[in-house]
Amino acid sequence: MIRARSQKPRTDHISESELLAMTKNMDEMHRDQALPAMKAAVTDWIESFRDTDKGERRASSRRTFLLGSAGLGASGLLVAACGSSSKSSTPPTTMTPATSGSTGSGGALSGDLAVAATAASLENLGVYAYSAGLQAATQGKLGKVPPAVATFATTAKAQHMDHAQAWNAALTAAGKQPVTATDPKLTPTVNSLFAKVTNAGELASLALLIENIAAQTYQAAIPALSASSSVAVAATIHPVEMQHAAILYYVLGQYPGIQGTQSNMYASGTPLAFNPTALARPASDYSA
Amino acid sequence: MALDERALGDLVEESQDLHVDAMRSTRASLDELVELGQERRAHGDIDPEESARTAEATKQGINKGLVIGGAAAATAFGTALMSLVASPAFAANSPDVQMLQTAASIENLAVSTYKTALTLPYIGGASANPVVKAFAQTTMAQHDQHNDAFNAAATALGGQAQNKPDPKYVPVVNQAVSQITGESASAGAMSVVKLAMTLENVAAETYVSFCSKYSDSNAKKVTASIMGVEAQHVAVLNAVAALLSAGAPQLIALSPTVVASLPAAAGSVGFPNAFYPTTSASPAAEGAVS
Repeated sequence: MIRARSQKPRTDHISESELLAMTKNMDEMHRDQALPAMKAAVTDWIESFRDTDKGERRASSRRTFLLGSAGLGASGLLVAACGSSSKSSTPPTTMTPATSGSTGSGGALSGDLAVAATAASLENLGVYAYSAGLQAATQGKLGKVPPAVATFATTAKAQHMDHAQAWNAALTAAGKQPVTATDPKLTPTVNSLFAKVTNAGELASLALLIENIAAQTYQAAIPALSASSSVAVAATIHPVEMQHAAILYYVLGQYPGIQGTQSNMYASGTPLAFNPTALARPASDYSA
Repeated sequence: MALDERALGDLVEESQDLHVDAMRSTRASLDELVELGQERRAHGDIDPEESARTAEATKQGINKGLVIGGAAAATAFGTALMSLVASPAFAANSPDVQMLQTAASIENLAVSTYKTALTLPYIGGASANPVVKAFAQTTMAQHDQHNDAFNAAATALGGQAQNKPDPKYVPVVNQAVSQITGESASAGAMSVVKLAMTLENVAAETYVSFCSKYSDSNAKKVTASIMGVEAQHVAVLNAVAALLSAGAPQLIALSPTVVASLPAAAGSVGFPNAFYPTTSASPAAEGAVS
């Protein structure tokens, strides 16, 4: 964790405890409201796998076994996702690109499951980037890191972990292995960029790139996904990534949204009323 | 920007190579929808027969776009939209049309609410915080564009445009406006922010809910491009409300140096949900044309 700065901020009127209490209240309120909806969407999706599987049961008793055991695993993951974000799972331990398929005996991924795998790998990338950023900050490699930036990184990381769990719950329910690797196509670029990060502002810029990529990937996926339940999962996550991006823009001193052009997320100009998809990643990013 | 711009550029270029066609089609489609909506509004309310005429105009517009854009513009989106216009499956009161009309009704209400708020001296006048004023102006303009897009999509599917505000929230806004007019500047500013938060949340949650209910992929595409923008409005308003509540309006500023003065909790107040809720989502027919 990043230590609080010894220098007192120039916020004499601010009651930190009051603001913290407000944040906690909002967090609890929204967890009560949002998590059941997401859980229902993932459960519906899992049920659709089960329905599909019933039709194929006679053709493959082995597949039925895999689905049943995976379903139990998925339930566990969902329960974890509904608990405290920061304690719910272990973050990805590597930013090394996945070099081989890890989809288990379920075979190659296609359709909604391919989107789920790529989405999970993007979420893992977010978790890893924030973890690396927080670690670098703790080690003093980024100079003075504002407390709000540290809180942002910690909270966003926890939410990305929740997102990854949601996608992996669906994957395991379908008899696939959960995706624990970071997006193999993006990882080299993100590693290269992260190696050049020397302060909190540059870390925020890198985080903004990842958040915009994730948000736009979900946005592009929504009309392409087949199952309404998988659309519901993507639709509940996309706005959260957009909110992460909004706060990062604010941290960077910019208007909180993409401006000017479709492809240059740092451009200045009129904020766009419609979010673009120029940065969206294809489902083939994470291939089995 | 101190990050390696070349590496970033390569990444963006790679993404663009992969998605350029889809992106172009989406942008062109959205532009077209907005233009159609603006044309319709410029001519006033439409009669029942106008739906058919608008649908035909849409079809011609799509055809024109396809001709101008050549093969590259003959996208899945354009094809899908044209086939929908011609399809009898989308009746004027189909669930998709109703949802698009309800979305337009929410946007209508948001536009009028921000317009009213901007008449207040501490929101749109000389005593306003420049960031709050710019946000209100920009957000109002964005909602206007969203309204155009939703209405153009509704008419493209054979429905009527919805030019009235969401009936459920009109009394909510009226009551809030009545209360705000008697408040002090500081209290009024907070009340305006809370009212805007309510409307923005209803919009975002409604669109999240609608995305999985549409049968038309174009409706999904349009809504998906809008709902995240509304969620960003919510994030900003959450942060502004927290800073106003904490008595720190001076920190509502767009400057990279401000972040150093923000309290730790401000870093997460903008996005309290890991998954966006839908408990405040409006039902499909709430703002539909009756």
